[in-house]
Amino acid sequence: MQNTNKWLPYLYIAPCLIFLALFVYYPIVENFFYSFYDFSAFSVEKTFVGFENFLNLFKDEVFYIALKNNLWYALISIIFQVFGGLILAAILEDKLIRLVSGLFRTVFFLPVVISMTVIALLFTFVYNPDIGILNGLLNMLGLENLTRAWLGESETAIFAVIAVSQWQSIGYIMMLFIVAIQNIPQELYEAADIDGAGKIRKFFSITVPQVKEMFFVTTLITLTGAFTVFNEPYILTGGGPGNSSEVLGTLLYHSAFGKDQMGYASAVATVILIITLIVSLVQLKVFKTGKDV
Amino acid sequence: MKKLLILSIISILFLSFFAGCSKSSSSTNGKDVVELKFFHRWPNQPKKQYFEKAVKEFEKAHPNIKIKTEAVLNDSYKEKIRVVLGSSTPPDVYFSWSGEFAYNFARQGQSLDLTNYVNEDKAWSDQIIASQFNAFTLDGKIYGIPWSTDGKAFFYNKKIFKDLNLEVPTTWSKLLDVSKKVKAAGLTPITFGSKAPWTISHYIGTLNQLMVPQEVIDKDYDPKNPEGDFSHPGYVKALEKFMELKPYFNKGVNSVDHEYSRELFNSGKAAIGFFQLAEIGLIEPSLKEDLGVFNVPGVEGGEGNANSITAAPEGIMISSKTKHPKEAMEFVKFLTSKEKGTEQLKEVSEYSAVKGTTTEANASKLQQEAINLIVNAEQTYLWFDTAVDIKIVDAYLNGTQLMLDGKKSPEDVMKDVRAAAKEVKASAK
Repeated sequence: MQNTNKWLPYLYIAPCLIFLALFVYYPIVENFFYSFYDFSAFSVEKTFVGFENFLNLFKDEVFYIALKNNLWYALISIIFQVFGGLILAAILEDKLIRLVSGLFRTVFFLPVVISMTVIALLFTFVYNPDIGILNGLLNMLGLENLTRAWLGESETAIFAVIAVSQWQSIGYIMMLFIVAIQNIPQELYEAADIDGAGKIRKFFSITVPQVKEMFFVTTLITLTGAFTVFNEPYILTGGGPGNSSEVLGTLLYHSAFGKDQMGYASAVATVILIITLIVSLVQLKVFKTGKDV
Repeated sequence: MKKLLILSIISILFLSFFAGCSKSSSSTNGKDVVELKFFHRWPNQPKKQYFEKAVKEFEKAHPNIKIKTEAVLNDSYKEKIRVVLGSSTPPDVYFSWSGEFAYNFARQGQSLDLTNYVNEDKAWSDQIIASQFNAFTLDGKIYGIPWSTDGKAFFYNKKIFKDLNLEVPTTWSKLLDVSKKVKAAGLTPITFGSKAPWTISHYIGTLNQLMVPQEVIDKDYDPKNPEGDFSHPGYVKALEKFMELKPYFNKGVNSVDHEYSRELFNSGKAAIGFFQLAEIGLIEPSLKEDLGVFNVPGVEGGEGNANSITAAPEGIMISSKTKHPKEAMEFVKFLTSKEKGTEQLKEVSEYSAVKGTTTEANASKLQQEAINLIVNAEQTYLWFDTAVDIKIVDAYLNGTQLMLDGKKSPEDVMKDVRAAAKEVKASAK
């Protein structure tokens, strides 16, 4: 029976594979070829232009603004979501507040289940220069000189957008770390207790090394998320003022559907793909995942 | 045996899945019922309901035609219409702004030449204000039927003006004076929101027409005329004039959208706002008789025509790929009939492009006054963001947003615009 069904396993995974190929891999390859052409959404013919789209892209200052904003996104997300999420998780798993940690877990996790569009619209009110709660709070604290049009000034726009993402996503990363921490054998902590280790020592010597695998997963999630981000800047600022809060995702969108430069947009998409591929390859190497747990 | 069974089950599942995908579209096609796809840009009320009702009425009168409506809002419409027209199943009937926006479809061969239909049925087409066809006419051919017409003007709060003893400004410097006094009284002089930057483009379009001579504008806006290079000094001055208003805008204009600025005006906290005449229907209910309208005042030293207004029709086009041009035209005629035009103003406060549809019966006094701004203007100009090539608009809008943020000077913005214009005109040749 066993050897007659040699092909059966493949048959079972075939639907999944076919759909993946059709809806994920085929478009990626197709997009790669599109990036060598110049065409608009309804032009009948595509003009082959070789690497011109890429050359123009690397000459385009908006591309560098977008790339810089994505790098900020990545850096800040790693600091707040991954490190912040780990610390939060460790605190919530501490014996002292275990009783109420369920409540906190829910509170931190709640933003994750709200639609990004809703959150972004909510935050346009928070950031409103006249009636926004943020400026209102600053006024109440006597910090009037710190109030500003957070989304309307080129220096603060992208950071205001990044802050929203942190608020939303930290709960998710925290949850992943909580799961990882719960899997750590209690004996390790008990042994440390006997040795007289303090809480901070236990955190660095037991918790951090034990959740290393989850560390890899969460950095991969946040980094790829940071380079493919679209919803938050699109709804909150639309890339503006000017191009100051443009990220690669919105640049792609504006080139394709605003300026109708489909080939150029494909080139942007290809660059995003290459960046995220490099990021994950580097991480695979650094963390050497799967080789030891 | 078992293997065969599994295989057949899987293949049945598979096939039924694909069959399920394709089935839905063909079954609705009855005997000789023609299905038309209609794409417009008002998924919001009250216009959504207005069109739903219109479609029902039309289907009742034409039992052989079924209409499938789809709608997305403004900015998304601009993007989506380009994509769906490029697809193999474009909408048969669709909305379009006038000018370059519509010409673009015509040049790409995406819209049907309607000249014959217009000439054949004079009884219907003569009812439409003739000048409104211009914005849909390219190389002598008519590609769109004007549905609505609209203009842009300053709205003001009469109560604030009365309380502060102010007069309606007749020149640009008087406008600044008025604004100064309103600001001194602790109110917002001019309400504005430029998060979605098309609002800036309406100021720019209007100021350009006040500062720059007509011939120069014609040359510069035409995407195919290589002589138009936006080098006239009036363009920079127009931006400078715009920046003179900045101290009188509400705080942080780049971070609030147009709807917010309208609400600010509705709440009576702002004295002036720059709105479309169609928005009277949205503002009059809150401000009532306190709402007044005046045309943008002429600028001292401007080289353009002061008695002009930014006003343009919006229209309906038919896809060149449609299989039922006759039925589609029938529907367009229905929407642009006098009967529908009269209903239109009352129900959705859009001025119809059909003659004599704005009357005491269906319009407020202010709405009649407002439509006269368009009728009495010596010259009308199209919406700037649909009048010029998208790349030039883009350079303008990104630049002016940064200009409002203090990051760019008017001269810097024009430098970007000239570069964009050069690129556009080089590729048009």
